[in-house]
Amino acid sequence: MEPLTESQVIENLRQTEDPSAQYYAAWWLGKMRSQHPDAIPLLLATLGALDDSPVDPDRRGVALNAIRAMGLLKDERTDGALLDRLHSNDYSVREEAARSLGTMGSHAAAEAIRSLLASGLDGAGREQPSTPLLQEPCEALLEALGDIGINDAATLATIKPFTRHHRPLICSAACRALLQLTGDSCWGEQLTQLLLHPEALVRRGALLDLGAAGWTAAVPMIQAAAVEPSLKLVALRGIAENSGNQQVLDVMDALL
Amino acid sequence: EATRALCALGDPEAAGTLVKVLGFNNPAVAGVATQGLIQLGRDIVPTLLVSLDARNYGARAWVVKVLSALRDPRGLDLLEHALNADIAPSVRRSATRGLADLEIDPSLKDQQLQRCMQGLLKAGHDDEWVVRYAAAFGLEQRLRTTTVDPSIADQAVAMLQNLASDAEDARVVRHRAVLALQRLNLE
Repeated sequence: MEPLTESQVIENLRQTEDPSAQYYAAWWLGKMRSQHPDAIPLLLATLGALDDSPVDPDRRGVALNAIRAMGLLKDERTDGALLDRLHSNDYSVREEAARSLGTMGSHAAAEAIRSLLASGLDGAGREQPSTPLLQEPCEALLEALGDIGINDAATLATIKPFTRHHRPLICSAACRALLQLTGDSCWGEQLTQLLLHPEALVRRGALLDLGAAGWTAAVPMIQAAAVEPSLKLVALRGIAENSGNQQVLDVMDALL
Repeated sequence: EATRALCALGDPEAAGTLVKVLGFNNPAVAGVATQGLIQLGRDIVPTLLVSLDARNYGARAWVVKVLSALRDPRGLDLLEHALNADIAPSVRRSATRGLADLEIDPSLKDQQLQRCMQGLLKAGHDDEWVVRYAAAFGLEQRLRTTTVDPSIADQAVAMLQNLASDAEDARVVRHRAVLALQRLNLE
């Protein structure tokens, strides 16, 4: 099959008969970092489907992909729409909007994200009855605060309680954000403890969080962790790009 | 523990079982099995060549990794195929590593080396950063350790220069290509 050209992808997103073509198009524009002048307006237009009642599940999928693409395209024309979607009543929409705003490093979003977490472990961090979800998408919100990078007292105080959450992946996200914001090695050490967790899922999460935080001291622990080499390489990429340390490249070479 | 015991036997007949272990989506166990397979040495290459699991890319990545580590020239066809056709970046990455290190059969030197170099050049155009990273590693490795036909060597250097330039999106790939050029005294 021939790969699609950018103009075909743009037309696929513009039409509304075939949501699966739109779904792929929204993903493609983000993945390829499209600079096409119609990309941002068309992605924004897909979000309207979230306000329909009832919401069409296929069009909701397109909108979620569009939100992810906006995070990759980092265009300020999407700031307002993404900020609005932090208050969506749809958990996944809040989650993806937070992730995208974090990737974009949006300072304007910090306060709204903090307020979603402000109710702490018994509010935002409480489990929703009979689902695996928490009240708020805490992992995405915590990671976004770390990526945005404002390290004022209010932000740190909001994040800290989540380092004691009963779910290890939430602790990991909180430690990652605190490590990014403060550089204090105590959070890195708590993350490296999670690399020894009996569940592979937790080890993988902690490994990627150490990489995202770019903490060079973690390199030997990452190297030794019982995790797939492909994830170790992703984590080490983060550290190599953060530190510019050539020894990290040698460790990566050995894992190829 | 059972996997460790199986590895400790050092018996090539355990290879088939160890390959099955690679498919369990358990990185701790797969890591042990991979080391065990590598220690069994080149006797197990024929077993590996017939044991790629079409439905499990995690398992394929581990098998290609073992094959790459053994550096046996009989693996060339499979590594080439994996790089060209596998949908999983981790498999293409391990295959690229294999092409960088594969021991060349002296009687077929020119032809096999040519195929390894063509594979590495192709990997330099891959969509995934980690495969391009492995290409930068591999091109350095081959240019440093073997005498390569000059026209291919020129293409290899041009590829490294491209991976070191702004045309490359991933900063870590640029860093690695710059390092390769430095080590080859080309910068």
